[in-house]
Amino acid sequence: MTTPAARTATPAPSESPAGDLALGKELPMADQPAVPFVEIETLRVKEFIPAAKEALSSLVAEQGQARVIRPVFNWAGRNSLFPLHWGLACCAIEFAAGFGARWDAERFGVVPRSSPRQADLMIVNGTVTWKVAHKLITLYEQMAEPKWVIAMGNCATGGGPFRTAYSVVPGVDKLVPVDVYIAGCPPRPEAMLDGILKLEQLIRERKE
Amino acid sequence: MQPDDLARTLSPKLGDLLLGVEPFEGMAGRVRFRREGALDLFRVVRDDLSFTHLSMVGGVDWVDHREVFYVAWSDSLRQYLLLSTDVPAEDPRVESASSVWPSANWHERETWELVGVSFDHHPDLRHLLTPDGYAFHPLLRSFKLHEPEELEVKSRHV
Ligand code: SF4
Repeated sequence: MTTPAARTATPAPSESPAGDLALGKELPMADQPAVPFVEIETLRVKEFIPAAKEALSSLVAEQGQARVIRPVFNWAGRNSLFPLHWGLACCAIEFAAGFGARWDAERFGVVPRSSPRQADLMIVNGTVTWKVAHKLITLYEQMAEPKWVIAMGNCATGGGPFRTAYSVVPGVDKLVPVDVYIAGCPPRPEAMLDGILKLEQLIRERKE
Repeated sequence: MQPDDLARTLSPKLGDLLLGVEPFEGMAGRVRFRREGALDLFRVVRDDLSFTHLSMVGGVDWVDHREVFYVAWSDSLRQYLLLSTDVPAEDPRVESASSVWPSANWHERETWELVGVSFDHHPDLRHLLTPDGYAFHPLLRSFKLHEPEELEVKSRHV
């Protein structure tokens, strides 16, 4: 049986321990267990395996997250955008028309939901007043993550024709983060669908 | 009912609190009164003249003074009646009509926040159309349209 180099470097047991003591030297361990090399290496390997396992699994998880799970979630998310079913002003008429038989937004998986808990997209379709602003924020906060906001029409984008009015929020991005802006007063339903497809493009490129 | 009929009923009960009754197109007439006699006038108009429904309350800013007007409707006469009173701009207040006509409640809240006329003994004088803590009376002529300034809006759940 061989001993590791570190162990061999220790001084051999002295002939007369009492004499060493008298000289003030450190007393060496008389019966120091000689650890066999194989045992040491086994211990090292035993330590190495879980660490390697962890590194490997985190690498796999990272890559899997980026290459498998995220694309699958993005694919599912962008094909089932459920907007909140509400209307604020005249743009809501175009919003409603977009879900009718003629434009049929449902073919893109866009189904209006009446509860913010079931919605992951908020289409702000109309003029937002300061009086209703905190209710809009409440609705936004009630939506489950991940969530997106589309500002539909000039009013939601920047206040529109009522920008200088005393009661109108000049752009809904003062209240909630907006992903896509749609211009128009009102935007036609095609424009709304275009905005939704732009948002789908954003979700396709989503990383985290 | 004609303005003369109105004056015949109103002037003995109100005395000099009544400033005049004029014809007004599409209505039974226009009654102008001093703001001290507001509640008496409202009671007489509702009980004796049968104008049981108040359809609106509003205000006008005439710069040197403000005017508060009330439009009452009578089901039996099928006529409207316009009541109006002037309040000074330095002390814009008048007695609330909501103890006589409960429907005055929200109209007076709106008049208060937009024209800045305050209503005494109103049960619940809060903002109706503008957010709580809104510092302006936007329908006053001194109010300037401004570049949008952000009002602090707090979500109830933040
Ligand atoms: S953008 Fe035009 S159509 Fe849309 S809510 Fe504003 S005023 Fe109405």
